[in-house]
Amino acid sequence: MVKYKSVVCFVVFIFIFSQFIDACFAADRATTDEALVDAESDLVSAYVTVGEAEQVGANVSELLVKLKSAGDLLADAYNVYRQGDYDKACSYAMNCSYGVNGIASEATGLKSDAEASYSERLFVTAAVSSVGLSLLFVLSLFGWRFLKKRYLQGILKMKPEVRKTE
Amino acid sequence: MSFEDFKVFYVLSLLGLGSIILAPTLALTVRLPSGERFSELWILGSGHMAEDYPFNVRLNETCKIYLGIGNHMNGLQYYRVLVKFRNGTESSPDALNATPSTLDPLVEYRLFLSNDDVWEKEILFSVQDFVFEGNSCRVSRITINGDIVNLSPIKIATWNEESKGFYFQLFFELWLHKAEFVYHNRFVGIWLNMTKSV
Repeated sequence: MVKYKSVVCFVVFIFIFSQFIDACFAADRATTDEALVDAESDLVSAYVTVGEAEQVGANVSELLVKLKSAGDLLADAYNVYRQGDYDKACSYAMNCSYGVNGIASEATGLKSDAEASYSERLFVTAAVSSVGLSLLFVLSLFGWRFLKKRYLQGILKMKPEVRKTE
Repeated sequence: MSFEDFKVFYVLSLLGLGSIILAPTLALTVRLPSGERFSELWILGSGHMAEDYPFNVRLNETCKIYLGIGNHMNGLQYYRVLVKFRNGTESSPDALNATPSTLDPLVEYRLFLSNDDVWEKEILFSVQDFVFEGNSCRVSRITINGDIVNLSPIKIATWNEESKGFYFQLFFELWLHKAEFVYHNRFVGIWLNMTKSV
């Protein structure tokens, strides 16, 4: 009899617990608002960093895929929020924040790499140009002397032309 | 050729050669001004052409259009598209004053586009619930790409004597993220005539 009562109590407890579990973990409007603001802020800071990395020539295609996916999640969050489904909205917003986690640091790394690569390329190109210009300067002096000599020799070899006066 | 002309020709040739040698370095350091910055926003009909747009809409009939955005802003951009629905008298975007419609969006899309990148999405929509009451038509629910949107307040259009129909407009506003989202002064839309099934 005692055993039977315990089982009934347990079943009743489980039933009551299942009825209230949703309410315990349900997101209210304020929590969802906060989650949406956080997600938007996380997404924007990731976007800004990726944009900066792209501007200096970093390959951000993989990061863009993550950004797009996070953007979709945030849009979904706002769409269900408007329909009053705060639970789903909160979940989407949190997934969005989770999705962009680490993008900013990854983009910063790519930006540094791209900047370093640009500096290296610029140094090599500038060095080659400088050497080229120096060579051109030196060769132009010799070239000028040579061409000037040939030009003058050409003039000296010219024979005076005698013209008949009328 | 006189000696002076020869000298000038020689110096000009050297300057030309010098420019060619310097060109790679200049290309890396000098940034030429970019062209006009703009974004494109378009909708296409069901055949993916600028024709066959949905017009006469019946209850629960699924209509298809394509929404597209092109980024020519010279860098990565963060866009938001707000999908709105209005009757003929409600607020619409104002292209002259660059202001958006004051209506709440039904759904929104957010996207990131690199320079010269294009985004296109198939939009399937159907009007799920509308009734005709005398001289007016009341729309209370729309489905857009599977999302059921209950309109609040309910949209009411009165009979348009001139164009012979109950007209509503489904339109898309383009917003661009700067320090925050600002209306990008671009919108596209289609007029829909609610029609009874016969």
